[in-house]
Amino acid sequence: MNITITDQLARRLIEAGGEAVSGQQFADEFGISRTAVWKHIRELQSRGYDIHSVKKKGYILSGVPDSLKPEVIQPGLDTRYIGRRIDYHETVVSTQIIAHQLAQEGAPGGTAVLAESQSAGRGRLARPWDSAFGKGIWMSVILRPDVPPQKAPQFTLVTAVAVVRAIEETTGLRPEIKWPNDILLNGRKCTGILTELQADMDRIHALIIGIGLNVNQERGDFAEEVQGIASSLRIGKGEAVSRQDLIRSIFRHLERYTELYISQGFTPLKSLWEGYSVTLGKRIRASSPREVLEGLAMGITPDGVLELKTDDGKIHQIYSADIELASD
Amino acid sequence: MKIQEIREMIKLVDQSSIEEFTYENEGTKVKMKKKGGQVQPAAAPAEAAAPAEKPAAPAEKPAAAPAQPAPAPAVEKPAEKPAPSADSSLHEITSPMVGTFYQAPSPEEAAFVQVGDKVSKESVVCIVEAMKLFNEIEAETEGEIAEILVKDGQLVEYGQPLFLVKTT
Repeated sequence: MNITITDQLARRLIEAGGEAVSGQQFADEFGISRTAVWKHIRELQSRGYDIHSVKKKGYILSGVPDSLKPEVIQPGLDTRYIGRRIDYHETVVSTQIIAHQLAQEGAPGGTAVLAESQSAGRGRLARPWDSAFGKGIWMSVILRPDVPPQKAPQFTLVTAVAVVRAIEETTGLRPEIKWPNDILLNGRKCTGILTELQADMDRIHALIIGIGLNVNQERGDFAEEVQGIASSLRIGKGEAVSRQDLIRSIFRHLERYTELYISQGFTPLKSLWEGYSVTLGKRIRASSPREVLEGLAMGITPDGVLELKTDDGKIHQIYSADIELASD
Repeated sequence: MKIQEIREMIKLVDQSSIEEFTYENEGTKVKMKKKGGQVQPAAAPAEAAAPAEKPAAPAEKPAAAPAQPAPAPAVEKPAEKPAPSADSSLHEITSPMVGTFYQAPSPEEAAFVQVGDKVSKESVVCIVEAMKLFNEIEAETEGEIAEILVKDGQLVEYGQPLFLVKTT
């Protein structure tokens, strides 16, 4: 059976938006027999699509499987480039690794690598990230902004703002951002963002933005050692959340804020970021391999760098560190 | 004697009115002779049996002189046969952004490169991080790591030299 035609048929049914499409119509559109159409429908039903046939009308779709396949995500997606190309996998080692390869092979800006699970998802400094099958959004987005490499770090804050807005829009929850871009729900981390850069001195070749978002895990799905610090949207909201709606919203917000940053600089994004910050104005501890600084988080610079004032009155600019509230 | 010291010497001689200059230290002898306003540097280990005097290609743009030094009559051999060290030039790997310099992918892993390691253009030599953006820096040249100029975990500036690579 031709998988591609099955996928196209699924897409066509989703785009019909619950209206009936007749077997003859499919047969004409795809140049196949009505018996073949029926076989493709059976295949989709076995994959979890809720399709029934109504006499003299045709096939009606009333539910799609909880999958991140492009044919499920892309209908209804109104972005110009982010998510227009989706590289979907059931299980990968890490979406970042695949995105790196695709970027080197010349994949267009906006390409997204999505997986239902990762066997070795990773965070900052190669720390492991738990990516349970079908429970979250594990993805990497390739961007190719025409800005110099010095302007690249701010994209990590821009991404945090985009994801927070998408979570708000989809769930009504009010997440917060811990500098630079961890997303928290009730003080517990639900999203990690890690960005890697392919660049030379003057030009960004590709930004690979890795996003790990806990969506539908329940408390018991998390490993014991992270249960106290990890959360998911389902835990926050008390009910399951559509990963498909959430991804489309992330794509839309990421594109909007990327364009805003490129055209107007970091200033408008800085204000948005500050509005969601859980770090500023608090006493924090910033740990790096070389030193641990404790003091007041004064604010972020026009470039997004964290300014910390230690008790001796000195202001330190923090470019990279693990941040925790000093009361923790 | 380090290549950058020779380079420094060439610059100084070039800017001065000195016509001829010889420097000898710990078994290394450097001789420079100006011809037609141009520096003709030559470096050779003093103990070498055959005099290996030849023009060393300037590592960087010399102040005013054209990039190709014409072989001086004093040079006995044409420059085809390279002397192992004197003919190499040093390439600086600089940081494309402000951030934290990491020698290894994670604290538990070995450094990407150490002094003496051979690198190719695509070899990753370090990571610079700022605000959870990780930039894997590539050597962008072929050669051998001659010196690591910054420490693990150090904050580096835009354009700051991180490594010196002896190009081959």
